[in-house]
Amino acid sequence: MTPDPTTSHNAWAQTPERSNMLMLRVMTWISLHLGRRAARSVVHLIAAYFLLFAPASRRASSLYLGRALGRPANWRDLYRHFFIFAATIHDRVYLVNRRFNLFEFEVHGEEALQRLLADGKGLFLMGAHLGSFEVIRAIGRKQTDLRVSMLMHEDNAKKINAMLAAINPEAVQDIIGLGHIDSMLKVRERLDDGCVVGMLADRTPGNDTLYPVQFLGADARLPVGPFRMAALLRRPVVFMTGLYLGGNRYAIHFEPLADFSDVARGQRDAAVEAAITRYAALLDHYCRKAPYNWFNFFDFWQHVPATTPLQP
Amino acid sequence: MQDTQKPSVSSTADLQREVAELIIEGLNLEVTADQIDPDAPLYGEGLGLDSIDILEAALVISKRYGLQLRTDSADNQHIFSSLRSLSDYIASQRTL
Repeated sequence: MTPDPTTSHNAWAQTPERSNMLMLRVMTWISLHLGRRAARSVVHLIAAYFLLFAPASRRASSLYLGRALGRPANWRDLYRHFFIFAATIHDRVYLVNRRFNLFEFEVHGEEALQRLLADGKGLFLMGAHLGSFEVIRAIGRKQTDLRVSMLMHEDNAKKINAMLAAINPEAVQDIIGLGHIDSMLKVRERLDDGCVVGMLADRTPGNDTLYPVQFLGADARLPVGPFRMAALLRRPVVFMTGLYLGGNRYAIHFEPLADFSDVARGQRDAAVEAAITRYAALLDHYCRKAPYNWFNFFDFWQHVPATTPLQP
Repeated sequence: MQDTQKPSVSSTADLQREVAELIIEGLNLEVTADQIDPDAPLYGEGLGLDSIDILEAALVISKRYGLQLRTDSADNQHIFSSLRSLSDYIASQRTL
């Protein structure tokens, strides 16, 4: 039986963003009043709380980690997964407040990004709920002409704008809300101005068409929309992730993913499918490299029964 | 400044049909031009186009009729509300 393509949207709309926002709210207050080191002990408490009281997220974590680690996940793995999730959300508070000196960033592939930006026609930066996308601010700090507009679902855009205003009123981010008749015309205008349009392409807020891929050795489905848009607008796509390595260290990776600049109309669908396949391969690669950085706490494969048992 | 781009020209049935065919061909829709009600919404329910479809339609239409669709210059909500209003807009703004 074909799974209902809308189930995953409902699942994520209900759980992860909500806990995400709640955690950010609590952490902002603590971080700005107590400092990073002291706040980290609270991050441990939050991780423990979610581990104990969010059984659905725990099951999803266990299923994911079993595949990414290649062995059944134990309690220590689950705790680490929740802790790293909470820690990266916590660090957003400092990144938004431009406290970059608290962190060490290793940056890979920035030359490729700069090369693609050089012609001034803009590009798409596609991330995932993998590590921290917020670290793009650390790149923007050196590179004053790097302007990033984030494309996201309108509800999330409102919440994030409200939170940014609370954390640092000067840190307003240019956000393009999806779901308007002219959302895409706005995207095109930003690109024409030489901006980077960023988005997390692993989830879809609407009834987007999904394309089958292999992800961590099992069948999964990814939304076609982001890549279709890039193909229509004939722009390059660069993959980005900011992996949290522990302590105060992040590794930022940029990888050219696709370039639709010269794709003929008749080859567009094939090019889009090739790009999604490569995006899935990049997700697979970085999930194996940094397994605890995957922040989709729902069954990403959904139509595959959860066979990985939770370890006692 | 008030928005003065509201179309003052009405489109003909021929133009509406031509625009419908452009959209159908551009988006590979499984309908014929006759099946599109000129007053039904294009976006969401109605013809069921999403915002990426609207982008694709806008790109095709801009090219064919030599006009620019911008977010700041016109009431896109109105222009894309139906085949009729889109065709009216084209009739008033076209350069080709």
